[in-house]
Amino acid sequence: MTQFLMTAFHVLVFPGALFCVVIGILLAGIDRKLVARMQNRVGPPLLQPLYDVLKCWGKETIVPRHARRGLFLYAPLVGFAALITTALFIPVLSYTAYSTGGDLVVILYLLTLASVTMMVGAAASGSPFAGVGLSREMVAMISYELPFVLVLLAVGKVAGEGSALGCTFSLQTIVNWQAANGSILFHWSMIPAAIAMLMVIPCEIGMHPFDVAEAETEICEGMLAEYSGAPLAVFKLSHCVKMYVMTALFCAMFLGGLSTGIVVLDVLLVIVLCTVVTFVSMTVPHAVCARLKVEQVFKFYWTVVAGLAAISAILVWFGL
Amino acid sequence: MIAMNYMASFALIALGIYCIVSKRNLFKICIGSALVDYGVNLLIVSVGFNPGGTAPIFTITELNRASFFVDPIPQALTLTSIVIGACTTAMTLSLIMKIKEQYGTLDSGEIRRLRG
Amino acid sequence: MEFMINFPILAVISLFLGAFVTSLAGRRSETARNAVVLISMATSLILVLCLIKPVLIDGEIITYWLGNWQPVEGWAFGISLQVDALSLFFALIVTVAVFVSGVYSFSYMKHDDSLVNFYTLFLMLSGSVLGLVLSGDLFNIFVMIEIMTFTAVALTAFRNNYEGALEGAFKYLIVGALGSTSVLVGVAMIYSQLHTLNLAQIAALLPSHMNPVTVAAFGFLFVGFGTKAFLFPFQPLAADAHAVAPASISLMISGVLTKCGVYGIVRLCYALYQNMDQPFVQYLVTGVGAVSMFICVTMAFNQHNFKRLLAFHSISQVGYVITVAGMGTMLGLSAGLYHAMNHTIFKGLLFLTAGAVQHATGTLDLDEMGGLSKKMPKTTILFLIGAASISGLPPFNGFASKWMIYQAAFERAADGNIFFLVAAVAALITSVLTLASFIKVAQSVFFGQLPESMKDVKEVDQGMCIPMWIMAALCVITGLFPAQIQQWLLVPAAKAAMNAAAYIDAAMGNGYAAANGIAASSAAAPAFIGSWNPVTWLLLLLSVTIAVCLVAVLGNPNPKTTEVAEETEGDDKFESFFSGEKAVFSQVGGSDLFWGFKHNWRKYFSFMHDWHSGVVNDYALYGAAAIAVVLALCVIFL
Repeated sequence: MTQFLMTAFHVLVFPGALFCVVIGILLAGIDRKLVARMQNRVGPPLLQPLYDVLKCWGKETIVPRHARRGLFLYAPLVGFAALITTALFIPVLSYTAYSTGGDLVVILYLLTLASVTMMVGAAASGSPFAGVGLSREMVAMISYELPFVLVLLAVGKVAGEGSALGCTFSLQTIVNWQAANGSILFHWSMIPAAIAMLMVIPCEIGMHPFDVAEAETEICEGMLAEYSGAPLAVFKLSHCVKMYVMTALFCAMFLGGLSTGIVVLDVLLVIVLCTVVTFVSMTVPHAVCARLKVEQVFKFYWTVVAGLAAISAILVWFGL
Repeated sequence: MIAMNYMASFALIALGIYCIVSKRNLFKICIGSALVDYGVNLLIVSVGFNPGGTAPIFTITELNRASFFVDPIPQALTLTSIVIGACTTAMTLSLIMKIKEQYGTLDSGEIRRLRG
Repeated sequence: MEFMINFPILAVISLFLGAFVTSLAGRRSETARNAVVLISMATSLILVLCLIKPVLIDGEIITYWLGNWQPVEGWAFGISLQVDALSLFFALIVTVAVFVSGVYSFSYMKHDDSLVNFYTLFLMLSGSVLGLVLSGDLFNIFVMIEIMTFTAVALTAFRNNYEGALEGAFKYLIVGALGSTSVLVGVAMIYSQLHTLNLAQIAALLPSHMNPVTVAAFGFLFVGFGTKAFLFPFQPLAADAHAVAPASISLMISGVLTKCGVYGIVRLCYALYQNMDQPFVQYLVTGVGAVSMFICVTMAFNQHNFKRLLAFHSISQVGYVITVAGMGTMLGLSAGLYHAMNHTIFKGLLFLTAGAVQHATGTLDLDEMGGLSKKMPKTTILFLIGAASISGLPPFNGFASKWMIYQAAFERAADGNIFFLVAAVAALITSVLTLASFIKVAQSVFFGQLPESMKDVKEVDQGMCIPMWIMAALCVITGLFPAQIQQWLLVPAAKAAMNAAAYIDAAMGNGYAAANGIAASSAAAPAFIGSWNPVTWLLLLLSVTIAVCLVAVLGNPNPKTTEVAEETEGDDKFESFFSGEKAVFSQVGGSDLFWGFKHNWRKYFSFMHDWHSGVVNDYALYGAAAIAVVLALCVIFL
């Protein structure tokens, strides 16, 4: 029974649904506010993303004529669930809800699952804009996947030093290693990988300037074109949760050494760190860059970002 | 003597492959593939050849340690292989007939609707 | 359980006998024909299932000597069938796939004529494949390969009124014969050195008889089996043959025939030559696998024929298997076997859905279809399950086996070997590209807008749905219980493959291996880094889904506000959004997708397009070049 309650607590409250949603909405709000300030605007209130979600929730949901009803309505929910599940596997510095030997691979595929269900939902809407949107989303995914994989490999290799396999995929191990040996970010050979990861984050989340898949001015929000009401609200929430998941993943992978060992303090610390990562990786590029074209995104990620990640991976593989 | 056989068999195989690769006519391709088969048959039968050996036909009483004969197994293999080769040729020819009906040509360069 | 020794031969015979009886009795009545086919398939399936207990669980190796010609004084004269766990593992894959494919054919092929010939060939194909994996005799393997190639060619050309069916069959026959010939030359060379054809005796004698001839034989056999698995550079054949064959035969070609090639390569490298610990062999096998894996997935990207696309993916997945089998470790081999099994299941499912789509719409062109999910909801769900499996999304079986593949690759890469690191990264990227092309199929076939011409499309009947549901259920089951599958299937099979000594002793009598200097294998069960425990995860995912659904329902102030459009004309607000313009039919077709990616790779794609020229001479040239290159490499490095 306690086992079940513990699971329920993990899934529903911390570090699952409630925690993710709250932090995600905060991060999204902070991001919007900061971008506005940097562009000399007043900007929306901090909780504007929450208001958006609530407003959408109250609206009617229209299922278009060409849509396949079930998939159209429920695919976003599965995507949201996949993101929450991802969050369960990301340690909040010292606190780990679930850990397996292969967190990194699991997280990689759960994030993919989240994107895929959204694409399926979009495809099921039958809109040509959604078709173009999902095509672009997929290209973005191919783009960031290569650097992302290389970063994960580099991190796994650094933290797996001395383990039986010589390479680890357990985030728990990675965080523990950092607690003992200092954060991975401060290892000189891993700095390129950290920069690459910072660049992967906005593309994974679909933030400006890499938001080719949504591109309001070109393809009318792409995948979201036909969505309204509650499913749209779920999409927006997923977006917020993804911001938390990705930034928290960065913190766990690169800043794990900052852990204080006290859960409450660590939670606060993670919130601060996530905000900082959000600022560096999303807010600044958002404020200063124009949106890239889709083929530029691909080229950028497979040359510059993958190059940075590969430098780290190779350095690490030769034991530097 | 036996080295000659090996050289001839590999020459036949090489010739056959050259024929398959360079000739555009489907019949010539078929002939090339048959040539490869003959080369392999020659190779196998040469493998079992013992200079001076007799035909491997004995009753159980005649057979003793001193009997000297060519290895019978490769001959059996060659037989199987010849049969299979004949089947391949027959199959190829029947396909060629049908292709000629459908495409109106025997030029392999024009029979390429499936590509890319 | 003495009588069990007869089961392997009976399983093979029942299929061949079925072929014979079908051609005799099948002309009279359709029911008799179907009954004969069903009975012979079921018999062989049951016989193979009966062998699970002694072979997989008790670890026995069953050797059956035809005509009871036992080995005399250490020489194997007779022809044998030898079933160890590896053979049985593949036999299980084969018989299950055959059964599903046969059942599916009953409704799928209903509208074709001369079906007696179809089923005769089909059963011969099945029998030859089963004979191949159970055989303990090298020459019989060649004979079975030839029967397999023949019947597969004939079945490819079966619907000879289809565009390209004859052409695909012709190419397959010519280049496939090159591969078979290569096997035969290899067999002849081995015989010339060892004077035996029995696999066990060859395995015992080979390691002490390594000379240029046996090394060349290795090259020939490797290329020959590679041809049967359609590895690079033979992948164009697979594409041509799959695209035009009936769907149930595509299942056989991709799910069963390629597995024979895989079986051949595994047997060759692990048992016969026992040279899998040499770096050169590892690089060769892994390299060929990785190249096939990557090239085929990029080729699949540009296809607009549903089954041709699946065909390239098929080779790409076999590439995974070969890549990881070439790692030479226990973990690698068991990961490869797992993926081989899963590939048969999910690719079978996908080919069957493609067949269903073809059956319902009459076309396979991705650019002509769209919106079929409204007409064929079951097929859509089945397709999505298959697509999720092949793309390796949790919790389906593709994820479980890819998980092991990555582990195996990193295990090898971790000791500083960049080659395996590159292979691992290539595997991960291939996985994403696979996902992309299945998103493309989903979007262009099942989603989007329904063309006017497909308004009357109907869902396929139960006879086709049931085999697909079986496959889909297998996708989920094999994905959910990886620990059990490892324990009961993969570890015994991988151990059997690596334990050449036991294989030799089972046939030649105890002590024969040791007398020839073959040490008994001491391979322990592989250490898995953290077990993937999908049941817990599925629970997690489900609970989260339930929570989210609750929130979605409760949070909505008025659930009745979800408005669904009527099927026909109606309120404009249900039309697709067109920036305020009037809605018209518009479908984003398969060829229009992923422009940003294709644009950057246009040179590569156009090179690859030209390379797959469709001319049989070119394909034969690639094949001959492959033989030459592999031979040269083997002679230099082995």
